Amino acid sequence: MSDASGGEYAFAEGVPIEPVPPGTTLLVAGPGLSRAEDLARTMVTDGTERDDGMLFISTNMTAKKLLAACRRGQPSLRTQHLGIIDCSGQDLSRPNDEVDVKYVSTQSDLTGIGMKFSALYESLYQTVPDGRVRTGLISLSSLLMYVDLRKLFRFAQTLSGRIDSADGLGVFAIDPSTHDTQTVNTLGQVADGRIEVRETDGDADGELRVRGIRDQPDGWQPFTLP
Amino acid sequence: MPHRLLCVDPDDVTRSETVERLGTELADLDLTVDSCVTLRDAERALRSETVAVITEYDLPDGSGLDLVRAARDVCPDAGCILYTDTDPDTIDTTDLRGSLTEYVGKDSLFGRDRLTKLVRTTVETRSQASYPVPQTEGDRLAALRSYDLDREGLQASLDRLTDLAATHFDVEIASINIIEEHSQEYLACYGATAEWDPTDREDSICTFTILEDDGVLVVEDVTEDPRFDSRSETLIGMGIRSYMGASLVAESGLALGSLCVYDEQPRSFSSADEDYL
Repeated sequence: MSDASGGEYAFAEGVPIEPVPPGTTLLVAGPGLSRAEDLARTMVTDGTERDDGMLFISTNMTAKKLLAACRRGQPSLRTQHLGIIDCSGQDLSRPNDEVDVKYVSTQSDLTGIGMKFSALYESLYQTVPDGRVRTGLISLSSLLMYVDLRKLFRFAQTLSGRIDSADGLGVFAIDPSTHDTQTVNTLGQVADGRIEVRETDGDADGELRVRGIRDQPDGWQPFTLP
Repeated sequence: MPHRLLCVDPDDVTRSETVERLGTELADLDLTVDSCVTLRDAERALRSETVAVITEYDLPDGSGLDLVRAARDVCPDAGCILYTDTDPDTIDTTDLRGSLTEYVGKDSLFGRDRLTKLVRTTVETRSQASYPVPQTEGDRLAALRSYDLDREGLQASLDRLTDLAATHFDVEIASINIIEEHSQEYLACYGATAEWDPTDREDSICTFTILEDDGVLVVEDVTEDPRFDSRSETLIGMGIRSYMGASLVAESGLALGSLCVYDEQPRSFSSADEDYL
């Protein structure tokens, strides 16, 4: 993991993103065939190295499948510091006793998602060192199938505000290929910066480019996921 | 505009402690803190200048979610926070899907500290608004207030601009608007805009115009633009099906409002049209 000082949030060696300040929200934007959602998930589970709390709002993957995906990438995952809001509506069985899972029956219930997110966040905030929590919202694109843009904008901005007030890290995934420019640009306003993701023909899992955050590598960089 | 917080809690001790703590720790925000015990009193206490509502869930005559619903009508930009020890898993949010509320557990270890920080962020960044706000919003509003909009001769000049714009683009309605903190105000009107009341900022197209990098926003059809389709019925009722607006920019570079033309039919505008405006 790259070196982080002053409480910054750092990422694994294979992810060419320099540590970002507490309170930062990043939009991870890449088409479906890119590894954008996997990258977003990794940026959250990278917190296990530093004992950070990890909280997911999962729209298209059950808590069980999400936990399995997290474990594949991070075998040393500390599940006692992991919380999941399962909005997939597919399976209500708990993945295990250590992971705190809350269920919301439909993705259109943003109020319910938001309140359970807040409660889970508070719970993690109290138990992890320095109240450091990484939040992954995977994905905004899925939520847009259920609610209009303005409602989703308010929801995402509220989450971003909480993350800011608690010195956390937010990682919100979106597939820009399925939305118009106005939608992506409007939702981009809730984030401090954007991580653009594209496929690559080489050995790397993909390429990313960081926009809007200072002191970051310039241009497209290959990334490798665990 | 003075800003107000509304704290609602049936428990006298908790309510007093919360009011005192928020008043003290957020003193730099220059807020007036109102407090109520019941839903009915709280609904009466809501004002357009209320910027945050902090409420218990169980109220003697209703629920905190009832208050959140009411707040969306009176002060749509206000942040709402449920400050309660009621388990969120037991709260039915079915009827509240159009509104959002934050949640802070009273019985959580850092509940009080977290509430103060969350209220501060909510007020300073307007984090529960349904529209994006420029990062320079504070400076922008200060710049707007530095202008004497009642200055002699200004109105005639602004009217001339809207007349010219309406004639050039062959439209029935045009206006010059300023974007205030929570509303869009009309400074000059051509056509039916003279009858328009100030618009809530969340319903304003121009609140997006002032964010455009090149200073011009074109909306060819409000029913097909995801930023405005949820408001298209209201806009069409005002005669707005398409729109082009150019930011009015102060010497400092901050956008104060816009010069706009509207059409009641879907319409595209060329680059030359944008340049002219």
